[in-house]
Amino acid sequence: MTRRISSARTIIAACLSVALLAGCAQQSDDTIVVGLSADITTFEPGMISSRDNANIARHIFGALFTLGPDGEHIPELAHTLDISEDGTGYTYTLNEGLTCHDGEPLTAEDVAYAFNRIADPANRFTGNSPGFVYTSIGFQNAEALDELRVRINIAQRNPIAFGLITELYVHCKDSYEQMSLDEAAANPIGSGAYRLASWTRGSEVVLEKVREPANFERIVWRIIPEASTRTAELIAGNVDIIANVVPEQVEAINSSGRAEVQIVSGTRRMYVGFNLSEEHAAMPGGDAIQDPAVRRALQYAVDVPTICRQLLSVECERATGLVNVENANPNLTPYPYDPETAERLLDEAGWPRGDDGTRFSIRMQAGQGRYVNDVNVVLAIVQYLEDVGLDIDLELMEWASVYTPLLRERSTGPLFFLGTGGGLWSPIYDMTDIARVGSGTNYTHWSDPRWFDRWPDLVNTDDMVEQRVIIDEMLEVFYEDGPWLHLYFQPDFYGVSNRIAWTARRDEHVEIFEASLR
Amino acid sequence: MGAYVLRRLLQSVIVVIGVTLVSFLALQAGGDPTYLFVSERASAEEIEATRRALGFDRPLHEQYLSFVGDLTRGDFGQSLSYRQPAMEIVLDALPATIELTLFAMIFALLLAIPLGVLAAINRGTAWDGSITTMSMLGQSIPSFWMGIMMILFFGLYIRLFPISGHVPFLTPLIAGDLGTAFSNLPRTIYHLVLPGIAVGTYSLARNTRLVRSSLLEVLEQDYVRTARSKGIPEFRVLVHHALRNAWLPVVTIVGLEFGFLLGGVVVVETVFSYPGIGRLLFAAINQRDIPLVQAGVILLASIFILLNLLVDLIYVRLDPRVKLAGGRG
Repeated sequence: MTRRISSARTIIAACLSVALLAGCAQQSDDTIVVGLSADITTFEPGMISSRDNANIARHIFGALFTLGPDGEHIPELAHTLDISEDGTGYTYTLNEGLTCHDGEPLTAEDVAYAFNRIADPANRFTGNSPGFVYTSIGFQNAEALDELRVRINIAQRNPIAFGLITELYVHCKDSYEQMSLDEAAANPIGSGAYRLASWTRGSEVVLEKVREPANFERIVWRIIPEASTRTAELIAGNVDIIANVVPEQVEAINSSGRAEVQIVSGTRRMYVGFNLSEEHAAMPGGDAIQDPAVRRALQYAVDVPTICRQLLSVECERATGLVNVENANPNLTPYPYDPETAERLLDEAGWPRGDDGTRFSIRMQAGQGRYVNDVNVVLAIVQYLEDVGLDIDLELMEWASVYTPLLRERSTGPLFFLGTGGGLWSPIYDMTDIARVGSGTNYTHWSDPRWFDRWPDLVNTDDMVEQRVIIDEMLEVFYEDGPWLHLYFQPDFYGVSNRIAWTARRDEHVEIFEASLR
Repeated sequence: MGAYVLRRLLQSVIVVIGVTLVSFLALQAGGDPTYLFVSERASAEEIEATRRALGFDRPLHEQYLSFVGDLTRGDFGQSLSYRQPAMEIVLDALPATIELTLFAMIFALLLAIPLGVLAAINRGTAWDGSITTMSMLGQSIPSFWMGIMMILFFGLYIRLFPISGHVPFLTPLIAGDLGTAFSNLPRTIYHLVLPGIAVGTYSLARNTRLVRSSLLEVLEQDYVRTARSKGIPEFRVLVHHALRNAWLPVVTIVGLEFGFLLGGVVVVETVFSYPGIGRLLFAAINQRDIPLVQAGVILLASIFILLNLLVDLIYVRLDPRVKLAGGRG
């Protein structure tokens, strides 16, 4: 018996010593740890597309100008910008004495190379820079005018080009010319305040300080896909900031005494889209939603505040269109929940309730697992629409492999649930999703000439007052007769350790430059 | 034996071809794959040009033959999201999953064998009842739930083990960096404890029941009775006569289980933020990174087939009565 007890003690001691050997040290004061929900896939500037990936890249690569928390433009690698009279040439003057992480001096030629490299069709890049920024601004090329001045040429005047160019990553020429595309994807040599120290795919990314304004010596970005594990790591003190806290865990974090949840109204616009394509017009209910009066009626049918309160645990910021509240038409107010008005308007539009109590049947499609509590939100919306007499055939789909392909082909619907990212720095940025009828992001096929015919006027005016008038007119059309059932701006939930002073931004950017120790 | 192995390997090729066909069709099932290779705002002209450039405008059978042709040259394509060779990424993630699977199996076997034997030799007693009940419980508890509970208790409340993460052992070992590998080893084990137990509990429960029932069956055989009647000590009867024959079903299950676990630990890998192949493939499916999914599926299928073959060969060694069809045994 004595021998058995002794063996058990030995085993326990061995276990504890393994634990002690391995150590469970808390991070030191010069290190900050951020827990992300999604894996990082690349550091190739031309391929970065997800927000998590961009948040890390933003610390490795500098930008000419950058965006502040409230959408203001802040000089970074460049200090001045001159825009040509015709609005197609953007000339930036770089700061002197810049270098990349390998010590190579950063000049205008490097910036031009970095921007042209992304546009090179041979590289077949599909990230945010070529896929969104370049197509939105009509990027032509970039050229070095001298050592410090670089000129970016775009196809035509564009009021949001300056803001969009802040999203482009800057790096040097020599290092990237020597690397294959494979090598560049895993070994970024940037111009930012941090350099990549290590990247363990699927596990963590470690950055080390290179220069100011880096305020921590090391940033560790840990990939923790499971929400409850992220929460546990935060409460245990192993992680300082976590993104995408699920509403159900807010209380657990706040009551831990070690961390708090910050809830901000994000810029992602949540809506039910009306697909107005010919293909969908031929489907049951597809003909009904072609009528703007029917779409307007349905705006009154959904109790958005209750959905937010009950399913998202917050009072959401309501949407009146596709522009974030700061830049919205101030004369528009969110549609109230008024099912009687909805029913009256549907009657007037020629869709009375039939003998079976329904007005028309229609299919609604939604992906699941992409947005905060999305399945329950969709089920609630369906219930509200059925309450005013619609017969909804709901199709909940796996997000990535089923719903996304349909979205890319613009064939979801006739009704579909979606959230698309927006910004605070310009209303036109938010409106650009629907800049053309055939745009890949006009999932609704909406083609109202009162909207699309105004784009040239909007783009070509330099007069900010006139621009604002045009924007407000367009937003009014969108509010009244647009292709979205306006819901809310998605709230974002961040958990922040008590040892860190950091304020969550509304634009989903996680910038450690804005964090410090308490 | 050689002829048998050769024939089994040829059969395996047919299975692998089937797997390539299924994984190829998976690419088509998600709609036009061209959209995976162009940006969201690509124009119709760009989309069409990309479709032609990548050959997605060709008949399906031509595309499939081209795909298989690439595979035979070892070209599994580039991961769409990582922009790196797909098989390279899968192979990078494989050692972590092998570590987890091995840990789970060792944990399960080390406990299952004594518990199973204990239950069998004490049939009908409180020992047997308790072990059987615990086994049923172990098979009923979902591994992800158990994982979360262990995180809460051992990771958060008593803080004995890390909540998530991984420290590599096999990767530096394979790279020949023995110093790093063995200096990592204590931390590797430390990080494996919770996910390993979460993965291994089901196997532990199943194997305990299997050892118990298998041993009970053997203990009632005539030759065991004969051994006992000859006065051979009970321990010797158990170890040398009964257990050897009770191994057969256990070996079969354990061998195949390793293959199942390699591809089936996705949930536990996700819960523990463990960077293995299951989580990689899960993320690849979510990102529609089809080349990565194809590479992973083909690799896992090949491993499974080889394990299956290995189990058959071990079977012959363990039981001389088993003859391989067409072989000398």
